Amino acid sequence: MISLTVNQKIYQLDVDPEMPLLWALREVIGLTGTKFGCGVAQCGACVVHLNGEAVRSCVTKCDRANHQAITTIEGLSKNNDHPLQLAWNEENVPQCGYCHSGQIMSAAVLLRENPSPTDQDIDDAMAGNICRCGTYPRIRKAIHLAAKLNGGKGDLK
Amino acid sequence: MEDISRRHFIASATTAGLALWLGLTSEGNLYKALDLASVNFSPFILIEASGQITLFNTKPEIGQGTFQSFPALIAEELEVSLDEVTIKQTNGEYQFGNAQRSGGSASIRNSYLPMRKIGAAAREVLIKAAAKTWNVLESECFAQRGSIIHALTERKLSYGALIQEAAKLDLPENPKLKDPKYFKILGKMSKRPDIPLKTNGSAEFGIDAIVPGMLYAVVYRSPVIGGTLKSFDATEVMKIPGVVKVGTAERIVGVYNYTGVAIIATSYWIANKAKEKLITHWDNNGFDKFNTLDYEAHLRVLAKQAGIVEKSVGNVDDVNLPPNGYLEAFYETPIIAHHALEPLNCTAQVKKDKVEIWTSTQVSSAVTGKGAGDMHVQIGFAPENITLHSLFVGGGFGRRLSMDYIVEAVNVAKLVEQPVKVIWSREDCTQHGPFRPMTFSKLKGGLSAEGKLISFEHKVISPSLQQSRDNSFDPSKVDLAMMEGISEQAYEIPNMRNSYVRADLHIPVSPWRSVTSSTVSFAQESFIDELAYKAKKDPMDFRLELLQKPSDAKKVLLKLKELSQWYTKLPKGSGKGVAVWEFFAGLGGQVVEVTCHKDKTITIDRVIAVIDLGEVVNPDNVINQMEGSVIMGLGAVTKGGINFVNGKVAEHNFYDSPLLRVNEIPKIEVHILTDGGKVKGVGEPGLPPFAPALANAIFAASGKRFRKLPFKLIL
Amino acid sequence: MKFSAHKSGYKKTIALSVIFLAITIMALALNVTETPPLNKRSPTKILKDSIASVTAFKKVYRVLMSPRCMNCHPAGDIPLQGDDSHLHTMSPKRGLEGKGLYAMKCSNCHQPSNSPGLHTPPGNPNWHLPPANMKMIFQGRSPYELAKQLIDKKQNGHKDLQQLIEHADDGLVRSAWNPGPGRTKPPLSHAEFKKTWKEWLYKGAYAPKK
Repeated sequence: MISLTVNQKIYQLDVDPEMPLLWALREVIGLTGTKFGCGVAQCGACVVHLNGEAVRSCVTKCDRANHQAITTIEGLSKNNDHPLQLAWNEENVPQCGYCHSGQIMSAAVLLRENPSPTDQDIDDAMAGNICRCGTYPRIRKAIHLAAKLNGGKGDLK
Repeated sequence: MEDISRRHFIASATTAGLALWLGLTSEGNLYKALDLASVNFSPFILIEASGQITLFNTKPEIGQGTFQSFPALIAEELEVSLDEVTIKQTNGEYQFGNAQRSGGSASIRNSYLPMRKIGAAAREVLIKAAAKTWNVLESECFAQRGSIIHALTERKLSYGALIQEAAKLDLPENPKLKDPKYFKILGKMSKRPDIPLKTNGSAEFGIDAIVPGMLYAVVYRSPVIGGTLKSFDATEVMKIPGVVKVGTAERIVGVYNYTGVAIIATSYWIANKAKEKLITHWDNNGFDKFNTLDYEAHLRVLAKQAGIVEKSVGNVDDVNLPPNGYLEAFYETPIIAHHALEPLNCTAQVKKDKVEIWTSTQVSSAVTGKGAGDMHVQIGFAPENITLHSLFVGGGFGRRLSMDYIVEAVNVAKLVEQPVKVIWSREDCTQHGPFRPMTFSKLKGGLSAEGKLISFEHKVISPSLQQSRDNSFDPSKVDLAMMEGISEQAYEIPNMRNSYVRADLHIPVSPWRSVTSSTVSFAQESFIDELAYKAKKDPMDFRLELLQKPSDAKKVLLKLKELSQWYTKLPKGSGKGVAVWEFFAGLGGQVVEVTCHKDKTITIDRVIAVIDLGEVVNPDNVINQMEGSVIMGLGAVTKGGINFVNGKVAEHNFYDSPLLRVNEIPKIEVHILTDGGKVKGVGEPGLPPFAPALANAIFAASGKRFRKLPFKLIL
Repeated sequence: MKFSAHKSGYKKTIALSVIFLAITIMALALNVTETPPLNKRSPTKILKDSIASVTAFKKVYRVLMSPRCMNCHPAGDIPLQGDDSHLHTMSPKRGLEGKGLYAMKCSNCHQPSNSPGLHTPPGNPNWHLPPANMKMIFQGRSPYELAKQLIDKKQNGHKDLQQLIEHADDGLVRSAWNPGPGRTKPPLSHAEFKKTWKEWLYKGAYAPKK
């Protein structure tokens, strides 16, 4: 049995400990906000927080996540009101939207550790997340806006 | 048959009480009815007695913004804000007709007036109903936020309260459209209602469909494209816990039929891992000798053929050119993959003679047998027995115009009773096509003694999109899709001949965002630049000299000239390049500025992108689309294509078939031209001008001419 | 392979000055450059031999410059990747501690063990680059430069001789020999490497001339 604490709820799963966390989240628990893009840690669509770090759930085995705290896009905020979510909406960032769960989860770690990032800091944090639609200019703008909305504080969840 | 399907839709669109439906008949006439079952027409507005208003979006949302822009056309005229209505995505229902598709940048350019007309007719009939109810003049009433108001007495009735009365009245045949100066939605920076769903994980994409009891499947396809399955051995696969069934499934891509081996299991991960234990034997049919390098050499040889003339103006063979007034060049572009980030997927459940499908597709009505194509025949179901759930699309780019992955998934679902979700791995998506075909271009130009372009020839040498998609294609004819835009440019050239040499290819090909314009524009607009230099003229001036008559293309170039301060000299090592391209989807032009550094690297300083739309619905969305187009265009220029080695695709995933990342993007400035005229598309015209404008800028900065895609930003 | 800077601390050292002169003479005679200034506990049983030491280092150098070692000892702040040592896709940065930055920390992709399949992230519980204040660059270093750097405590993570020797058995170093499918192993086996590494160090840690 694997025990995962996802968005503060405990799930007991009868899965192979080798199963990537991505598939446990999507297919076993039914949280489909976390996306499958490449399966080899190249695109970042599957980013979730494991004990606060932006891990790629497509290569993170359930075994590593066992008894650990996981936050998915569904649990980032209760009302879609994390500063990044507000900023993403304000700047109309997504096109197809498929990559943005991962983009936002990655950006959340950036803002937590660097409350007012520069463009270079954003590149350093976000170059692991592919957006095929090319919404990168807006991702940048929205991260700057979120930093502003949060008043430059680093205490993002 | 039609009735059954219509009843099916009506059943799924049950309203709580009395409701008024307004829309278009198949002849394009305005129509309304209280009872949808009584008549066959496509409703776009539903007003319920409760006041609830629903607008139907028939254009699958692939990221291009139709979830907002399409209903906005109706809402503007109906005097409701999008916050006050429910937007419903249609699912290929028979009722909604054969235009439930997103492709060709067509959603707005084909609907701009018809949808506004529906909204305006609804508004007028509701005003008429209110005036009648109050026994006042129609001119004393106006519509506002879902209600009709009597200006003098401030009496107010909601649309819902007026439907019964409205239903008795005739719809105006030619309702008066709003004066654009009163627009509240159109032309304004607007929020897209799908965005909040895309920031908290609640947007449901095809791959997110959850159907109770669902199984998961992968399909192992011939590694050599064109191989046929001889046999397979799944003994070891069946021993893996979680594997439910292994069987064959047919996939049809245009004229090609492939059979793969499906592994159905309790999770995608188990099914995908089980592929390693599957033993398959294929007959490669000789296609394992296919190599991209050989094929490119073959195309270069074919280039010597005269080809079939697509368009001829004047007589290029009878032009007297001064000595040295002649220039020739050869351009090459690669095969590329679409790489939508949502991997191809489709969930299907077969119950006897019925099938239910959950997927992301660009062509909802074709999936249900209402639109073009014969997918229902391929899967063996009558159209009325196909139910589709058309979910958000995690990127289309033309890949999801093809329905091969849906056909295959339905065939997989036939193997079991449970619903099955078939997911393609990223490697599957990269390697199995259909791909954008390569185009090679042979160009010739002739300049008069004054340096004026007086003769021009563009010969395209390429495999054929039509031949790959349609068995009835006549190979003795020009595939117009491969000549896209070439003869449509506004340049006034007295002698012109454009021709096509078709090359056989056994690999399925398909449109890729902006179709062939994404490759032939590179050749043609780069070559125009070469001719300008040959004529010792400024590339902008040279183009404008070819545009004496007023044209939209000329407007675009003049705007670019102004925005880029074209004549302002850049420092040594830097340069500007311009390109413009008009084609079926629309019209755009770009100026790119680059700097070539001492270490031979090239950086893009900025991109100025102008798009001519005639009318704009949501400028903010257009800017987003244009930024994305430039970035996709840059990726197509600088990242590798798809290469075949011994019949197999050499690339696998984003590590060897990379996409542009946030640290690689240039500064992009977008300008939208909206001074009326033909309404043009948004999704694609941002792509074709980019590659030539970049190559032209590099030439201006360094004197080095790139004639083959892809190329790295290194001299 | 990696040098772990975090484990090493300053330890009491003993100068090797006793044989300083002898080494200098040998170095000159054998066309070998300066003496290695290894000021650390002197293993008494060692016999200095500049020829054997330099020969050993040349083999060590081949290992250290193999992609499995050099890729995480890049000249810049972005690790290298693959047998061709290209810049790591998605350009992850070193960060202060060498563990990456923000959403691109090494362990976000690099798991405690190798991920299955080709072209998936290789793994180790302690995957990292040298830290920003001790970059331990291999890429571009000549044998001479690298040898000198490896024994310079200011550049080697403050390791003395014993710690350098122990480093050959560091978990992350050893993982170079378990790189996952599709990746070439270093040119020597780990046992050979360790033997040669010790030989280089014990015989005087001489640097080749170039």
